[in-house]
Amino acid sequence: MIELIDVSRSYGGARPVAALGAVSLRIGAGERVAVMGPSGSGKSTLLNLICGLDQPTTGSILIEQVDIASLDDDARTRLRRERIGMIFQTFNLLPTLTAVENVALPLRLKGMNRRRAESRAAAMLEKVGLGDRADHRPDQLSGGERQRMAIARALIFEPPLLLADEPTGNLDSRTGDEILDLLDHLHAELNTTILLVTHNEDAVRFCQRLIRLRDGQVVSDSLIGGDGE
Amino acid sequence: MIGAIWQVTSRQWGMHRLRTVLTILGISLGVAVLFAVRTANLTLLSSLTVTVEKLAGKATLQVVGDEGGFPEEVWETVKDTPGVRVAQPVIEVLANIAFADEGRLLIVGVDMLGDRELREYQFDEEGSEIADPLVALAQPDSILVSRVFADKYRLADGDRLPLYTSQGRKEFIVRGIFQPTGIGEIFDGQIAVMDVFNAQYVFNRGRNIDRIDLMNEPEVDVEELANRIRARIPAGIDVTPPTARGQGIEKAVSAMRIGMLIASFIALLVGVFIIFNTFSIAVNQRWKEIGILRAIGVERRNIQIMFLAEALVMGMVGSIIGIGLGFLLAVGAERLMSEVAAQIFSYVATQQPPVFRADYALTSFAIGTITSLIGAWLPSRAATRLDPVLALHNVETRQREAVLGPGRLVLGIILILIGLLCVAFAPLRVSLDYQFAYPLLMIAGLILILPKLAELVAILLRPVMDRLFGTEGVLAVESMIQSPRRTTATVGALMIGLSFVFSTTSYVRSYQQTVEQWMERFINSDLIVSTSEMARSRTYHFSEELGRRIAAIPGVKRVENVRFLFVPYADDSIAVVAFEMDGWFARVSNPLDVGDIDEARRLLIEGGGVLVSRNLTTRHNLAIGDRITLQTPTRPFSFPIVGIIDDYTSEKGAVFFDRRLYREYWNDSAVDMIDVNLEESVRASPGGVAAARDRVRQALRGEHRAFVYTNTEYRKWVLDLIDGFFVINHMQTVVAVIIAALGIVNTLIISVTERRRELGVLRAVGGLRRQIGRMVLLEAAVMAVVGVISGTLAGMMNTLFLVRTAASMVGGFTIPFHFAPGMVLLALPLTILISLLAAWWPARKAVNLNVVEAIGYE
Repeated sequence: MIELIDVSRSYGGARPVAALGAVSLRIGAGERVAVMGPSGSGKSTLLNLICGLDQPTTGSILIEQVDIASLDDDARTRLRRERIGMIFQTFNLLPTLTAVENVALPLRLKGMNRRRAESRAAAMLEKVGLGDRADHRPDQLSGGERQRMAIARALIFEPPLLLADEPTGNLDSRTGDEILDLLDHLHAELNTTILLVTHNEDAVRFCQRLIRLRDGQVVSDSLIGGDGE
Repeated sequence: MIGAIWQVTSRQWGMHRLRTVLTILGISLGVAVLFAVRTANLTLLSSLTVTVEKLAGKATLQVVGDEGGFPEEVWETVKDTPGVRVAQPVIEVLANIAFADEGRLLIVGVDMLGDRELREYQFDEEGSEIADPLVALAQPDSILVSRVFADKYRLADGDRLPLYTSQGRKEFIVRGIFQPTGIGEIFDGQIAVMDVFNAQYVFNRGRNIDRIDLMNEPEVDVEELANRIRARIPAGIDVTPPTARGQGIEKAVSAMRIGMLIASFIALLVGVFIIFNTFSIAVNQRWKEIGILRAIGVERRNIQIMFLAEALVMGMVGSIIGIGLGFLLAVGAERLMSEVAAQIFSYVATQQPPVFRADYALTSFAIGTITSLIGAWLPSRAATRLDPVLALHNVETRQREAVLGPGRLVLGIILILIGLLCVAFAPLRVSLDYQFAYPLLMIAGLILILPKLAELVAILLRPVMDRLFGTEGVLAVESMIQSPRRTTATVGALMIGLSFVFSTTSYVRSYQQTVEQWMERFINSDLIVSTSEMARSRTYHFSEELGRRIAAIPGVKRVENVRFLFVPYADDSIAVVAFEMDGWFARVSNPLDVGDIDEARRLLIEGGGVLVSRNLTTRHNLAIGDRITLQTPTRPFSFPIVGIIDDYTSEKGAVFFDRRLYREYWNDSAVDMIDVNLEESVRASPGGVAAARDRVRQALRGEHRAFVYTNTEYRKWVLDLIDGFFVINHMQTVVAVIIAALGIVNTLIISVTERRRELGVLRAVGGLRRQIGRMVLLEAAVMAVVGVISGTLAGMMNTLFLVRTAASMVGGFTIPFHFAPGMVLLALPLTILISLLAAWWPARKAVNLNVVEAIGYE
């Protein structure tokens, strides 16, 4: 599903800072992988590179056997839109749009007409338990509901890959658990590959595999058994 | 605390330099126009006054009549009044030289024997063959010119200078060149002096003079002497100090100032929108900073003070830049205004450096700063209401912008209705200052309902945009609906600018159309011969002899001489048009709007009554049978009104009567216009009228500076002239367009910055670069459409105000409402184009957005 070969990413000009250094990884279809590490360890950089929002300084990233570095910006954007769902700690919803409009947005950007897009979005909201909140705007919803809305938007194309950047970071533990349960449920239903960046040890339990990063390097990569790592 | 807050806040503006510059520029432009207009006006006044004072020399009093002048016998009376030391007659003519460029030359006719007591002439002795140039003026073909003029046309002593005079082209001999000081400075040196009695003859003043300049005996009080003279001369002639005359001239050209002041207020109003938009966006963008400041102990009040202090500083900086810019602008504006003053009013200005008035600067500074504070008030209040807890938790706190509540909608509609009702029914007695509130009420109402209007237009446009541009088109329209504040700020600025353009143009068109109908009714001679390219000249006239010459041209059946001047009436002036009534009645089929036609014809032809324009009756509450009393240079002129006509000769009102009466009462045989009627056979033959026009032109060529038109040409020419009269309005239009364009550029650039995060999210969830770019451009185009629609509504309301209230107040007449749809159709693509150009850079910025940075919070 995902393959990273010697991927590095540096920022800055004369004195570059390495955010990620020569990382190689392979993640199979349907896997649920947690990425942990302290702040500045390169977790978010890794996600941004995989979804094509950022470009590696060296190395290559293959998504479903396609090297995303070989794609132009439009192709990367389409890939992100239709094959990769993304959820963020800060939700990144458009505050002026209602839930159904937010969720329908990727479909409409693909060119689907409003009525069809919103009907599909409403079904997806139903799936994440927000069927009765379709006409609410983000500011009228709780944190958990906003994250459900973001999940619905991320999964509107039923993508094979879901990237989640601290999805429970802004939520209390009970709401966080609800979100993880939802992801668990959706994974079971759609068999989506999930890459979850988190600080939350509870969230790790939801995954099958844990990758630990430190200073831009993979320091451990292990399966999570019934008794832990 | 304030110091610490300032440290935070000042960095913000440093980080957003472009936004800061555009915002400051928005204020600067308004202040610049305001300051420039006031400074230019002051400079014009000073330039006009300098002309009057330099021409007056040492004179302490001037005896002046109306435009027709007064008989030279008055000079004898004034000269003999006890207390008068020197009294000299003067004639002033703004004539044209008979060289290829037909340049203007101010000719001052003085009595050379006594004038040196009043005026200093510093003669250029170098190369002069004449020991005393004043003596030379005893020769009737002598003329003295300034060194500047002589150099311009390479004239030396003894050279010939051909001039167009009322007696035709005449050659004068330069018999003295005076230096460009004192009188030589006037009108930037375009000045010449000749003998007053010679000027009387060549410029057809008969036995009249324009003015007497006098000096009192030192022991006599000036005011007392003025009263003494007034008691001895006819009532139509006034005695004033020279300075008072300068002010009188300023009053005549004050219409220009009012027009420009309106433009500057429009500019400032747009400035309010720009500031409002900038600060709304700043508050939205700085929510986290506000949250942190609140968390570390900054009170709500201080948050508001922080934003208002920023607005204050921006207002002050913008105002200072505006004042500097305005001072530079004033130089250009003054030149334009003095050109208009010379062209239209025949008042010559002597270029003066612009006067910097500290009080004007302070007022402009205060207005600019207050404008900025008004614009920032609402956003600063919104900042205090931000929830610090949400802000600190990295949660998007931006609320959906308040949609238009029913209260605001109702208030907006009520304001518009009140404005419209006032325009329709308010009495004219209310002063114009208050009447200006009507369009302001209507505009305020429109601004209130603007979000709803924008939403309505957007809903209508949605299917069109969908069909034409697909998803991006629809998303662009929706983005506009979802941000009513942003939309109102951009569209509001555009609406105000466009409404001004539309209403000014419509007013001019409405006025032209009215005048066209009026000319069709009253102006029906076959050819018209005029003294000036500006319809008439205040100082240069034809003689009756010219009429006789034209009458002798084959094909001409009859000529009628017309005199057209302004005379004092009831603390103002009115137009007097004296022509041959029998000929006029013979030609005009339906001459009267009020009055008994047979009785009026008899009395007017006999010289037993006058005809007046309807606006004169409105302005002065007159009716048929009332008497019009005018002071003339000989004796009071008092005749009953026998007819009223809808007439647009002058906004001050006009009186028409037979030319014989004019000659008798004004002692003046000057002619301003000659109506030429052709033989029936000439009129009937194809091209006959044009051929007759050419014959008249041929007969006058090189002899007279006369403008000969066929009836059709004349009407077109008058319409073009009206366009020329509205040159200041056109300048206002240019200012409005620049301001509106600046408004769009500013709000679009700022709005893309504001939407960085939103656009980043769009890119993150799959929006292609070109989709984002197209969305920004399409939204700008949709805003332009809404701007044109709302501008059209506002423009129609403004036009209604102009043709009804303003025209009644200024001219005593109402003009039929005429709003040209063609103008809107032309404005639509232009506005869209300007919007697209303005949005081009923001769109590029949006396309090249760094998504990771845009959606990140820290």
